[in-house]
Amino acid sequence: MAAVHAWRAARVTPLGELHSPPRMTAELLRMTVQVVLVASLWRGLYAASGTTAGLDRDQAVTYAVLATLALRVRNLDQFAGRDTVIQHMHFGTIVYWYLRPLAPQRYYALRALGEQLYGLVWALAGYAVCLAAGVVQPPKSAAVAGVFVLSALLGQWVMYYVMLVIDQLCFWTLRNGAAMLILIFAQNLLSGVYAPLWFFPDWFITMSGFLPFQATLSVPLSLYVGRIPLSDAGAQLLVQAAWVVALALFTRLLWRRAARRVISQGG
Amino acid sequence: MSGSIQVRGLSRTFHTTVRRPGLAGALKSLIKPDRVAKEAVVDVSFDVAPGELLALLGPNGAGKSTTIKMLTGILTPTAGEARVAGVVPYEERERNARNIGAVFGQRTQLWWDLPVRESFAILRDIYEVPNAEHRARLGEFDDLLELSSFWDTRVRHLSLGQRVRCDLAAALLHDPQVVFLDEPTIGMDVVVKEQVREFLRHQVEERGRTVLLTTHDMTEVERLAERVVLINHGRLVLDGTLDEIRRKFGSTWQVRATLADPHARVEPLEGISLLRREGPQVVFGPDGPTAPTVHQALKQVIERYEVTDIAIDEADLEDVMRTAYVQAEAASSAQAEVPSGAPAGGD
Ligand SMILES: Nc1ncnc2c1ncn2[C@@H]1O[C@H](COP(=O)(O)OP(=O)(O)O)[C@@H](O)[C@H]1O
Ligand SMILES: [Mg+2]
Repeated sequence: MAAVHAWRAARVTPLGELHSPPRMTAELLRMTVQVVLVASLWRGLYAASGTTAGLDRDQAVTYAVLATLALRVRNLDQFAGRDTVIQHMHFGTIVYWYLRPLAPQRYYALRALGEQLYGLVWALAGYAVCLAAGVVQPPKSAAVAGVFVLSALLGQWVMYYVMLVIDQLCFWTLRNGAAMLILIFAQNLLSGVYAPLWFFPDWFITMSGFLPFQATLSVPLSLYVGRIPLSDAGAQLLVQAAWVVALALFTRLLWRRAARRVISQGG
Repeated sequence: MSGSIQVRGLSRTFHTTVRRPGLAGALKSLIKPDRVAKEAVVDVSFDVAPGELLALLGPNGAGKSTTIKMLTGILTPTAGEARVAGVVPYEERERNARNIGAVFGQRTQLWWDLPVRESFAILRDIYEVPNAEHRARLGEFDDLLELSSFWDTRVRHLSLGQRVRCDLAAALLHDPQVVFLDEPTIGMDVVVKEQVREFLRHQVEERGRTVLLTTHDMTEVERLAERVVLINHGRLVLDGTLDEIRRKFGSTWQVRATLADPHARVEPLEGISLLRREGPQVVFGPDGPTAPTVHQALKQVIERYEVTDIAIDEADLEDVMRTAYVQAEAASSAQAEVPSGAPAGGD
């Protein structure tokens, strides 16, 4: 199958980055600054009060720093490579996606996989440094670590689909900038990057339960810091898996419609 | 299998919504959009034999790109049928993709952030080209297009001429039988254009590829194509060899005169039309079946105008095509007038 032979498409993002050292330096700087800021912010907040929303200082700092690191996984400069759907629609180069014996959805998935693996290397490096420096705590047990890894993988999978939906919007509207900003904001807020979700009022938590964003970061990180006990992990993993399935079906539908649209407009 | 192209009654109508001006108009468009139909390609039929290079010509907006898009499978026709190497492209897009290569001028399929060679490698994988074959073909392309001097450069840093050469190579790496080139040489300098022509000639003559090319560069047409298909307003105007076109659209000669008075009034003479005028420079050509010979024309021009310099030569293809376009235009507007002139109702 072409998708297997075309694994090299997964190298596009990492190679592009490796060919631009300034971008990597900037990435390193951005990550360092964010981690330092987030860590000192939460330490400062906890200096006044003890335990808030059932979480002590180290747990909160760990959560926030891990969220910052995890976001790097899929938060590179997507536009640098001119290989986003919006750019292909803009430049008219989307036609080439439909001119190859590799389905656009397969190509997209390979590209995203490479991008996420590359981002993962960054996140893991950052994690190792933070762990060594004592900024984040190690997981409480091997079981917690195992469940976390599983949940984080599912979370990334959900993240992939969320990004995909945003990208797919571009097949219908050339200006998805606003949608992108709203979605990125919603994603950051609801997946617990700005502040862990338990700090929000109940109605907000309930509402966000209907959106996929909790499944991306909030669940795996809550498992990691112990806010969600291991006994509840199974249910949470199931919810994440359900999101994966639902979004997989939905995006499949969108791919089909996108193809129909391209084929009816000629790119 | 044979890399032939068959096009039968191919048509494509686009439906677009026109936006009304103003806020009220925008609201009205939202509620009841104004749909207009645009016939981009109308009942076009032609064939391209395996190993033939055909130039598809026509003014801007004639429907050339639309035709090519249907033949590459990224656009479905509203009527008619096309077969490319035996495959109906818009029905079996992926199968068709293996048989064809395409370059849409100005749009690159290369990966912007990567060295060109990486793009080649990605395409090799996508098309599942064996390694040895890939290397051999790259070597062949390098000999003709001199790619190796810049193929380690990232695409974003290439000049237009370099990039288009790479795009051509990229489109042919999987050894397609049929190649579609939509204005590939647009905006390139003469040297690169010549190199690309040489490359295309090699691909047609030595490799037996079928090429369908659109271009506005008549030198290119003259050097590459034996046959041309001319379309205008989506309709096929002419399908023939360059010789036929020259014969049909008259201009087998030109008289170029430099007038003593650059502002003199110049009018067509009996059987002689004015092709071009740039200040004191005027170019005449034959007009219709009653056109005089070039020597009679020369005499007439000298008798009529005060000229400081005069020369004769065969018309270049540019002028022939201009004549062809103008005549096609006249023919189609004459056609369009028939219904309005005819009495309404009875038939
Ligand atoms: N997707 C589209 N929607 C509406 N009209 C289109 C579309 N694509 C092309 N057209 C129209 O069809 C006509 C033919 O276009 P095209 O095939 O690009 O011409 P050419 O390549 O010969 O310059 C033009 O009038 C163009 O505006
Ligand atoms: Mg065009």
